Amino acid sequence: MFSVKKNIPNPLKILLIIGFGYFFWLMLKITLEYIPLGTNVSFLMIKQTEVVERPEYLYFFYTHVYTNIFVLLSGFLAILRKDFGLKNFHKNAGKIYIVLILFLAAPSGMYMGIFANGGIYSKISFVILGCLWWFSTYKAYQLAKQKQFKEHKQWMWRSFALTVSAITLRMWKVIIVYLFHPNPMDVYQIIAWMGWIPNIILIEYLITKNHI
Amino acid sequence: MKILKLTLISLFTVSLVSCKKEAKTTDSSKDSLIAKKDSVAIPEVHKEYYGIYMGDFAGKGMIVSEDGEEYEGIDYKKISIKINRITKDSVYGQSIVNGNQRPFRGIFNDETKSFVLDEPGNDKTDGRFEVKLNNDSLTGKWNAFNKSAVKAPLKTLKLIKKEFVYNPNFMLSEDNDLIDWENPKNFVEKYTDEETGKTETYTASKNRIASDAVFKINASKQKLTEKDLKNLRKLDMEIIKNSVFARHGYAFKKQTYRNFFEQTDWYIPVANNVDKDLSPLEKDNVALLNRFIKYAEDKYDSFGR
Repeated sequence: MFSVKKNIPNPLKILLIIGFGYFFWLMLKITLEYIPLGTNVSFLMIKQTEVVERPEYLYFFYTHVYTNIFVLLSGFLAILRKDFGLKNFHKNAGKIYIVLILFLAAPSGMYMGIFANGGIYSKISFVILGCLWWFSTYKAYQLAKQKQFKEHKQWMWRSFALTVSAITLRMWKVIIVYLFHPNPMDVYQIIAWMGWIPNIILIEYLITKNHI
Repeated sequence: MKILKLTLISLFTVSLVSCKKEAKTTDSSKDSLIAKKDSVAIPEVHKEYYGIYMGDFAGKGMIVSEDGEEYEGIDYKKISIKINRITKDSVYGQSIVNGNQRPFRGIFNDETKSFVLDEPGNDKTDGRFEVKLNNDSLTGKWNAFNKSAVKAPLKTLKLIKKEFVYNPNFMLSEDNDLIDWENPKNFVEKYTDEETGKTETYTASKNRIASDAVFKINASKQKLTEKDLKNLRKLDMEIIKNSVFARHGYAFKKQTYRNFFEQTDWYIPVANNVDKDLSPLEKDNVALLNRFIKYAEDKYDSFGR
């Protein structure tokens, strides 16, 4: 129960929580751009080809947008592994996280990956990301059911690292645009991979070093 | 009865005006419309001088440099003068400088082949032209009515007659300067002196540069798709969009676009509004470009996609 405390020093932990809070706030603002629901707002401004040609695109898109803000929140609350005095809080937050990803967020993400901006390189990245996301979450779910909690924790960290790519991808974008001012889709091809590969490498490193 | 008469006259005038090819520019200002009203019956003379004269408009004046210093220099601009109508005792037309279209009225002297043309006087940049015609060239001077309101109150004109034609093939060419000098972005840079080891910061400015996409993508000829525009920077899309307006003779109010299009030999500013002249294809492309320019503005460097 207290292994997080053992592994991560307290100040760093607080910093991570504040950092997540800040970026969650930014993500929430992005999500609110899609309320009320529109067919050509924000990101959809440059996605009208798909919106017009594929009647299902908007359904997948909005499923992805609206579920992911809750995925981020429930995943964050569950990864703290505290019940905050509420019965089964960790378990219930985890259940929401798993159900939202397996049935809504990951499948819609994979679909959108097929039509991603930036050509074949970003498409490949987003489809792989979607598959790994679904798989790591499913694996973590299974392991929890089998009460293998050490492995459950490791797979959940993998899953959450991929969830957080929503934030890291956008962070890399700001950094790369600030430093190099590339053309928009050149940035996109880079961040498509930079968004999640370093995350997963970090988690694998921490797992091999027995920190998780 | 009087009202009816007036209405009839103005209706008649409007119908006359709309028959004319250049209606789009003449009906844009009130002055010229009124001017037309009382000249319906008066015969026109020297139709051969009608047209657009374009060229340099320069004069000595106080110029403020970037760091706020004032110095005497040449205030150099481009001007278009359009002669719409010449009758025995009146001349009607417009001048366009910096996208500012002003009507004028004046007289033509047949013997000396010279014009004296007055702008209305209700704009601080209004003044009097005194110009002489020599075959295709129109030269002379301009005096501001309000000498203290303008940088250079006395200017010389060296114009040449140009034929405005819309041609969808017109584009910026490879020898055009693609730097946008008007919107520099300041950023702070650090400099470390190797000997003393002291670090100093200074502000440098960077200008935007368009890519060669502006030579390749023509929004007057090809139906643009999202795919064509996705990887373009904002400046490229702004130039591609405004090339459409430049081809139709739009007089740009923004210096940035004047700088780009005045480099070409085909750009002739003739009107303040050309929206009605755009083809359906151009309209669609401009709408698409507007959307992408907006997206680039909002999202290019922000936290988001």
